[in-house]
Amino acid sequence: MRAIQFGHAAAALIVGLAAYGAPASPEASFQAAQKARATGDLTAALAGFETALALDPDNIRYGSEYRQAAIQAKEYERSLKFFEKLVADHPNSAKAHLNYGFAYVDKIQAAGSITQVILANTALTEVTRSIDISPTWIAYYTRGNSYLFWPKVFLRAPLGVADLEKAYGMQKAGPKRTYHVRVYISLGDGYWKTDNMDKARAIWTEGLREFPDNAQLKARLARNGDDLKTYIDNELDPNKRVDTNLQELWASE
Amino acid sequence: MLGGAKSVLYRRAVVVCVSLIACLTAAALAGTSFPATRWFEDITKAARINSKHTNREFKNPYAHIMAGYTALGASVVVADYDGDGFEDAFVTDSSAHGKNHLYHNNGNLTFTDVAERAGVADGNDEENASSAALWFDYNNDGRPDLLVVRFGHNQLFQNLGNGRFKEVTRGAGLYRYLNAIAAIAFDYDRDGYVDLFVACYFQPVNVFHPDTPRFFPENMETANNGGGVQVFHNNGNGTFTDVTDKVGLRQSGWALDMGHGDANNDGFDDLYVANDFGTDRFFVNNGNGTFSDITKTAIGFDTKKGMNAEWGDFDNDGLLDIFVTNVTDDYMREGNFLWHNNGNLTFSDVSRETGTYESGWGWGAKFFDYDNDGWLDLYVMNGWVSAGSESYVPDIFAMLVKPGIDLTDARSWPPMGKKSLSGYEKKRLYHNEHGQVFTEQSARHGLDSIRDGRGVAIADFDSDGRLDVFVANANAEPYLYRNTLPTGAHWVSFLLEGRRSNRAAVGAQVRLTAAGQTWLRYVSGGNSFAGQSSNRVHFGLGEVAGIDRVEVRWPTGEKEVFTGMAADRLHKIVEGSSKNKN
Repeated sequence: MRAIQFGHAAAALIVGLAAYGAPASPEASFQAAQKARATGDLTAALAGFETALALDPDNIRYGSEYRQAAIQAKEYERSLKFFEKLVADHPNSAKAHLNYGFAYVDKIQAAGSITQVILANTALTEVTRSIDISPTWIAYYTRGNSYLFWPKVFLRAPLGVADLEKAYGMQKAGPKRTYHVRVYISLGDGYWKTDNMDKARAIWTEGLREFPDNAQLKARLARNGDDLKTYIDNELDPNKRVDTNLQELWASE
Repeated sequence: MLGGAKSVLYRRAVVVCVSLIACLTAAALAGTSFPATRWFEDITKAARINSKHTNREFKNPYAHIMAGYTALGASVVVADYDGDGFEDAFVTDSSAHGKNHLYHNNGNLTFTDVAERAGVADGNDEENASSAALWFDYNNDGRPDLLVVRFGHNQLFQNLGNGRFKEVTRGAGLYRYLNAIAAIAFDYDRDGYVDLFVACYFQPVNVFHPDTPRFFPENMETANNGGGVQVFHNNGNGTFTDVTDKVGLRQSGWALDMGHGDANNDGFDDLYVANDFGTDRFFVNNGNGTFSDITKTAIGFDTKKGMNAEWGDFDNDGLLDIFVTNVTDDYMREGNFLWHNNGNLTFSDVSRETGTYESGWGWGAKFFDYDNDGWLDLYVMNGWVSAGSESYVPDIFAMLVKPGIDLTDARSWPPMGKKSLSGYEKKRLYHNEHGQVFTEQSARHGLDSIRDGRGVAIADFDSDGRLDVFVANANAEPYLYRNTLPTGAHWVSFLLEGRRSNRAAVGAQVRLTAAGQTWLRYVSGGNSFAGQSSNRVHFGLGEVAGIDRVEVRWPTGEKEVFTGMAADRLHKIVEGSSKNKN
């Protein structure tokens, strides 16, 4: 109980300091927000994350945790408005644009089917801005993977493959990370979606060599034909919440 | 509810295998030319009901845009208008000079178009386009009268009883410009006369000569600038009074269809309104001549494209459930609603669990027991525009993602041209597996047409106890499918006649008990988009040949019990004729 009160009070204090112009430490704000979130005080948590992000807009972790709290509180509009202002204030902050894009994705599951398309399209715009500023692995993976959720009629799967191949090239050029398995999965899905089954199987197989315990790769390689289609369609169902939590990025480093 | 699905499916599989053997044997003996397991035969041409429906082409500055959004108007409504014992069909056209058809049933599965002679053919001109129709006995003379639902002014035709009809729209107080798309009639206030409920798609803007381009939906999911519902109270003297506000049904959704039924078995029929571009509405009948909007608690607020509202007790639990089609395709995965009635004025959507979730771009759908096994099956129309190989989908989404787009402005919408949108979809026939799940059987029975289906009507056109299917297609010929079910399953039908109740007994509930089971069916006043089935109440009885009791709850609320009724025939029941009253 005392810890809860402390977390709440600390978040409120830091938010208060920020409001009165005192330069709070972004990390202190972030940690207080994390504590508030852990105690279920989402209002304080959101305010704390916003303070942290305002001070360090390019911090991908702050943005990610903020969005997870916003999802928990169903505060999609608040999150979108916050990031809109953040990127307006910091137009060259690549990771703020990236998180802004994710904020649109976060709302998709709570929207009607037409709005889903509009949100997904706007998300792509923000991720593209992020790539224009700084072409990172996460941005290419994000955009490439997003394209795969679009129905075939929109002809976006080839664009997805192109982005995912770039992300693949980036990860091959650096140290291996656990999250790199995602590119093997998605790039294979992209090849499958563009009717290149041989390449799909090849990249999934390569992925499984690199990550032998990965259940998603195993599931794909164990399936064929309609069975595989059903499986991938289910994985790429826009009505299901897409996990946009980026904690894997820093957890593996 | 779905706990026993596995064992039910196993039992069902055994039954299907046995039936299959029986079918093969029967077909071999009969020398039929269609597959033995196919229980429907396309008799459209032989029946001479194959006049093509044609969509309306508008002549205004927005015509090229409207063409894509008004591929409507193909409908079929069934009634025995001349009382000769055979069900007839009225079928609408929509082109400016297209004639509507009144297909008189000759009693031998052929029909004669008598619309001109009867005086009901002229439903289309430069200022009016037929969109649907409704048979209803507004003057309680025992003869079904005809409402032609139109973009423009509806037409009410009084059935004179000599094969002719007289237009009485103005005298009845129904002459009003409405962009009407559907109509149902039921006696909401139990005064003995059916009242008229009209669903209107566009606002009452003259769509033939619009004075503004801003008459399209304001958004795709919560639009509130549509035509809503108009309610006309039947005064019992051949006239109607607009009571929309008085009864509490004023709304502005893009109403596409309505369905009535008594959800809570209190004797007063409630109302489901399926709205395109937004939230469907559920109204409970308060029993005092008014309705209350209980959407929030009954079904919740959806953002889908409600296209149809059909009521029926699919799981035989004594409560009426509701099936609503929405739009489902690769680019818009809304899914249908199968609203299971929880008995407390709340409903749970069980479409996913029952396998009725995905049926394409949905339109009319009907519950009916095609194999007389005692469980209501479901036939679903679908398909929007089947044209060229190019898809219209990217065009529409390119519009939607334009910043600041004004969707109300028709000029914002891209013309569809020769492109297709959810076209060439196969119709779905869902067989009810003991109220647990539905299995898709359309291909097996030849009911998987790819025309752009709109309305479907169910009736026993040859009076053989097997329910036949009439399908109205947009911009195409209709289909008449004769049911050739070979299983010999038992059945019974009832034609109800009200005395204190409205004469056609619309809203009457019939509970039939046999072999320890009780089934509920009721008289619908025209539910389901663009299609009205027979008003005869049909029960499939399967292997049950003896009926223990039949309880009729008349629209007045009074109940009567009938015993000693034989299966495998049509019975006429007149209100007040039983010695057993509750």
